[in-house]
Amino acid sequence: MIEFTNVGLRYGHGPEILRDLNFRIEPGSFHFLTGPSGSGKTSLLRLLLLSLKPSRGNVTMFGRDVGALDHDALLDMRRHIGIVFQEFRLLDHLTTFENVALPLRVRGQPESAYRDNVTELLQWVGLGERMDAHPPLLSGGEKQRAAIARAVIGRPEILLADEPTGNVDPELSHKLVRLFVELNRLGTTIILATHELPLLDSFTYPRMTLTDGRVSFHD
Amino acid sequence: MTDAAIDAPAAIVQPQAQKRAAPIVPERSVAGRTLVLLIAIMTFLSGVTLGGVVLVQKSAIAWSSDVGREVTIQIRPVEGEVMESNIRTAIALAEATPGVARAYVLSIEDSQKLLEPWLGSGLDLSTLDIPRLVIVELSDTVDVDLTMLARDIATINGASLDTHAAWRQQLNTMAGTIVFSGLLVLALIVLATVLAVVFATRGTMASNREIVDVLHFIGASNAFIAGEFQGRFLALGLRGGLIGGLAAVAFFFLVAGAAGSIIPDEASAQLSFFVGRFSLGIDGILGIAAVVPVIAALTAITSRLTVRRFLTQTS
Repeated sequence: MIEFTNVGLRYGHGPEILRDLNFRIEPGSFHFLTGPSGSGKTSLLRLLLLSLKPSRGNVTMFGRDVGALDHDALLDMRRHIGIVFQEFRLLDHLTTFENVALPLRVRGQPESAYRDNVTELLQWVGLGERMDAHPPLLSGGEKQRAAIARAVIGRPEILLADEPTGNVDPELSHKLVRLFVELNRLGTTIILATHELPLLDSFTYPRMTLTDGRVSFHD
Repeated sequence: MTDAAIDAPAAIVQPQAQKRAAPIVPERSVAGRTLVLLIAIMTFLSGVTLGGVVLVQKSAIAWSSDVGREVTIQIRPVEGEVMESNIRTAIALAEATPGVARAYVLSIEDSQKLLEPWLGSGLDLSTLDIPRLVIVELSDTVDVDLTMLARDIATINGASLDTHAAWRQQLNTMAGTIVFSGLLVLALIVLATVLAVVFATRGTMASNREIVDVLHFIGASNAFIAGEFQGRFLALGLRGGLIGGLAAVAFFFLVAGAAGSIIPDEASAQLSFFVGRFSLGIDGILGIAAVVPVIAALTAITSRLTVRRFLTQTS
């Protein structure tokens, strides 16, 4: 599903942030991405989200060389990838329902086509009664669940999460990760970046560890 | 998970299905009021300029048409010639010319009225030997043989034919200059509007960077994002255009009313000679009405192109 071959990344003329990345992510897998602050986790996630191009090496996703894709093809591929941010990045002027429905709306679907699906998903993540609330009125956990719902409403094959538990308490962190586990059981490939060691120790999924821009795998 | 419990019983809550989805680009985030005011001013200026051009052009066409329907024979007093006899001959020659409807001499009183603006009123012209004018009304302005008439009139001592061609030429030149100047002003207003919208759009894009980023992350195309901003600017353009267009039409009604009551009669008469009675007519009003969608479309297209350019540069 995802294959990195000798991938390196630098910003402008600066030093390489990521170097010699060689790995393969299988469909339906769950990986934690970890490493100290500044180790390049977010940069790697941006490469996976196709919002950055590698400075060298090849990235293959869904069997296609990402470097050879034009803008429209990249856009189409990005629709197969969901993203959850630590800071939620919900649009404050839209309701929870509208935020979650946004990926379908930008694809030109009418509300009548997605209304039931969005409602069902919001109920599944426990926001059934908060559909009409705007993000400023939601708690941190509610915001993160809304962000997760937005990331998965388009049924992405890959779900990336950048420190999704960074703004919630430990108890809620565990529950949020269990939500990702549930999504993984339904077939979504998950890569979840976190540096919370207690959280990592609670689950037995393999870890991708970034150190000095290089990645290593641990089961 | 107190925090709205993930495993809480799923409440059956109907989404706001009937409510129209909120715009992705929030109304507040666009410098709306300022831009509406600016577009209203630009539309007003465009409307007034266009209306002025229409008034001048309509008056010039009407005046030129009036003047073109008649020619004048001027008979100067010449010693040894009998004026009344020459007048009769001139009328007879004129009426014998193909394309002439009728010819008549202007009375002394009418001639006196024509000279009043220059010589003042209460003048007794009976003591002066002034030229007499024979008005020749044309029934066919195209096929009338004015060359033959001029040749015939030249046989009368002291008589000459004035076809007003020079006046018409000057009038047409003046009207053309005013129309060209008006169009130039319109072009400058359009350019200023485009530049203002470009700056407003750039400002809006900068203040909505977060929204643009989120839309990109969730797979929105540049065309979709540009469309969202275009829709917002189209609404602002329409609102500003309507305000400015209505103000321009109101301006002409007010000026027409004021011209009749405030400006002295003589000045009013001279002004109305050039621009009529400030009455735009249905074509003038339709012209100003057409400015509204043009300005709105211009605003929308400019914002769309600016957004597309911004997105291409940033993606």
